[in-house]
Amino acid sequence: MNRRMRLCLVALGGAGLAALFTAAFLRLPAFGGDRHPYGDRAVRAALHRHTANTIASVNFDLRAFDTLGETSILFASVLGCVVLLRQARDEHRARPEPADVAPPVRRYALLVLPVAVLTGLYVVAHGQLSPGGGFQGGVVTATALHLLYLGADYHALERVRPLGAYEAGDALAVSAYVVTGLAAVLAGTAFLANTLLPYGTFNTLSSGGTVPLLNAAVGMEVACAVVVLLARFLDQAVEIEEDSGK
Amino acid sequence: MHHLIPLLVAVPLLGAGLLVAGGRRLPRPAAETVACAVSGGTAALALVLLLNSSPPMVEWVGGWRPVDGFSVGIVVLGDGPGLGMAALASLLTLAALVYSWHYFDEPPRRHAGSFPALMLLFQAGMCGFAIAGDLFNAFVYFELMSVVAYALTGYRIDEPRAVQGALTFAVVNSLGAYALLMGIGLLYGRTGELAMTRIGRALDAHGAPDALVLAAFVLVLTGLLVKSAAVPFHFWLPDAHAVAPTPVCMLLSGVMVELGVYGVWRVYGTVFAGPGGVPAPDAQRALLVLGALTAAVGAVMCWYQRHIKRLLAYSTVAHTGLFLVGIGVLKPEADDGTALYVLGHAGVKAALFALAGILLDRYGSLDEHVLHGRARALKGVAAMFALAALGLAGLPPFGTALGKAVTEEAVGGPFTALYVAVSAVTAGAVLRVAARVFLGLGPKPRESAAYETTGSGERPETRQRLTRVPDTMTAVPAVLLAAAVAAGAAPGFAGVVADAVNTAGSGGVRVAVHWTRAGVLLGLLSALLATGLAALAVTRPALLSAPDRALPLRRLQSGHVGDYVAWLLVGAAVLGALALPGVLGG
Repeated sequence: MNRRMRLCLVALGGAGLAALFTAAFLRLPAFGGDRHPYGDRAVRAALHRHTANTIASVNFDLRAFDTLGETSILFASVLGCVVLLRQARDEHRARPEPADVAPPVRRYALLVLPVAVLTGLYVVAHGQLSPGGGFQGGVVTATALHLLYLGADYHALERVRPLGAYEAGDALAVSAYVVTGLAAVLAGTAFLANTLLPYGTFNTLSSGGTVPLLNAAVGMEVACAVVVLLARFLDQAVEIEEDSGK
Repeated sequence: MHHLIPLLVAVPLLGAGLLVAGGRRLPRPAAETVACAVSGGTAALALVLLLNSSPPMVEWVGGWRPVDGFSVGIVVLGDGPGLGMAALASLLTLAALVYSWHYFDEPPRRHAGSFPALMLLFQAGMCGFAIAGDLFNAFVYFELMSVVAYALTGYRIDEPRAVQGALTFAVVNSLGAYALLMGIGLLYGRTGELAMTRIGRALDAHGAPDALVLAAFVLVLTGLLVKSAAVPFHFWLPDAHAVAPTPVCMLLSGVMVELGVYGVWRVYGTVFAGPGGVPAPDAQRALLVLGALTAAVGAVMCWYQRHIKRLLAYSTVAHTGLFLVGIGVLKPEADDGTALYVLGHAGVKAALFALAGILLDRYGSLDEHVLHGRARALKGVAAMFALAALGLAGLPPFGTALGKAVTEEAVGGPFTALYVAVSAVTAGAVLRVAARVFLGLGPKPRESAAYETTGSGERPETRQRLTRVPDTMTAVPAVLLAAAVAAGAAPGFAGVVADAVNTAGSGGVRVAVHWTRAGVLLGLLSALLATGLAALAVTRPALLSAPDRALPLRRLQSGHVGDYVAWLLVGAAVLGALALPGVLGG
């Protein structure tokens, strides 16, 4: 099919879909109405379980089964990357040369690194109380480590990043999430039921029953997953080279 | 008992997590044993739950049972069709894992557990999608299943075609998933609900369907039809199935594509079937037109392939078209027949891919022409291949035959002829391959200058070419074929399936399902036609292999992702046009 024909098809299908979308969006409820059927119920349920951040309650309590699926998608993507980005037959590894880093960049990166890691961990730990949580904090923590790559060099990054440990951590965090869910089944209730632990005092770190546990598991999973993912792509960019003989 | 339903997802996930965590230490046999045990255990759990699924079970994950009819949680379904698909997916995963025992050339270094772990994640995704009663939850597990499938398809990274096929698969299916998500967003915006039954009821309460309902219908169906490879969303399937490792093909063709059809059945029946949804004649028109088109295109393309896995992939496209027609007529009998057809087809098609894998690993080729007469030594494989081909045609007493016969009677008229013709052509193509490859019948086909995917450049998936076929690789297709026969021949099985399907859907209308004289005769006719076509193709190659007439159709399968995306947009617009009249009238 040539380019013209393809563009014609895209225009045809796109126009049809655009018309459908426009008609559909005109029928959506107006923005800012006072009817929030799910929101009202979710807030009530979250308060009942002493979880201050309703979003965390939705993620790790009301709809924790969705979050299990989402965590597994990340886990599967990382595993898929590990498999697909392995060294192919016609590639070999070369040690990258250390590169010069401008002193201000180096100073800034090394200064910010501990602050960024701490911020990430804080965001994870306070997921059940304030905006943030495992997904967001995990990404902050993982990317913070990579300031070493910017500020020092690849070897420095590799030293704080034993990949095997992070891969195992990723898998163990997912397993921990599942095990927390299974514990409820063993106790005779529904899978992932938040009825095992006391709900604690509202708006404290230990409130919310299993919410902090699941939140921490996701935080660990995301942090490990992002480290492994970035490592695989950096590997491709920095270390693995295609054989020039071919 | 109902508390155990979510374990169908949790157990394989936990297995995968532990395999990856311990994968660096575990030797390969241990990793494979663990994976087989976990997937087998999940399959056993699915079967036990299935036996207890009358009356259907419902489980609210996290214990969030509805209060005054409203729930904040997620519901999973423990009814016959859901648990049945979960059991089918689990059993096929087990079969694929046994088949791939010590199979691959080199697992990624220090990651012996990664292939079995991916298979377990795939199983978890499929089970999660099958039991989902919540539309967003269905989407999440739909995505899990897709993501794993992309990685598994591109598993052999040294083959450029595998990487290309996986990429096409990923782009097209991700777009389908976005469409699905947008459709869910529209439905949530209107109703504030995510559980399928609640959405359906809220739509009915809102009144006659409007543009929003139509758009949601189109978007949700686009996502599911991309997965089930309906024309014109089907282009990714042959490109991906031809290059994926054989055990993965067994799962992709045997159950993943069918899960898309199952999703259409489930979503239409629970969300859009009411007075506030899409009127039955419009849904019928949309599904029947796309289904018939899919069946016809799949059958024609299947006939013209010489790459054996591609040929099987197109036969999957053709049969999905038949399944869509089956659920598209919206009759309880046709639903029952389609369920049986899907079960029988899963066994037959997975067996055919497994047998094709033996050819690849033994002779290093998948080209029907190159392999001409070379596989004479493999007597057992030849017998199974021919038997599976006849099963594909719907020869009684295969489960495919019973399912096809029941559906044929329900759909009636020209669709019956379509069923007979499509199953005869696809099975004829497979029989033609069998006659040439295993018996060396007919003249050796001449080489033509035209470019096509021949399948001769394929590399075996095992460490070296097999000199002796391992027992696991022959036992698995044998068991699968036996299961496909049992699905049709076991007394009472069809009745149980029909009962389960009718309890879950079709408004509680119960119909009896059994062999009829007409059904047996139609099955025999398909098998006879298939044999005749194969005989004609082998003895008079020039007569039926003139590729020129199908050339425009074949050119559409260009391998260019942009083309496939363009077709996806057109398909979604066509779907909207087909379902439009009912909304305008309302």
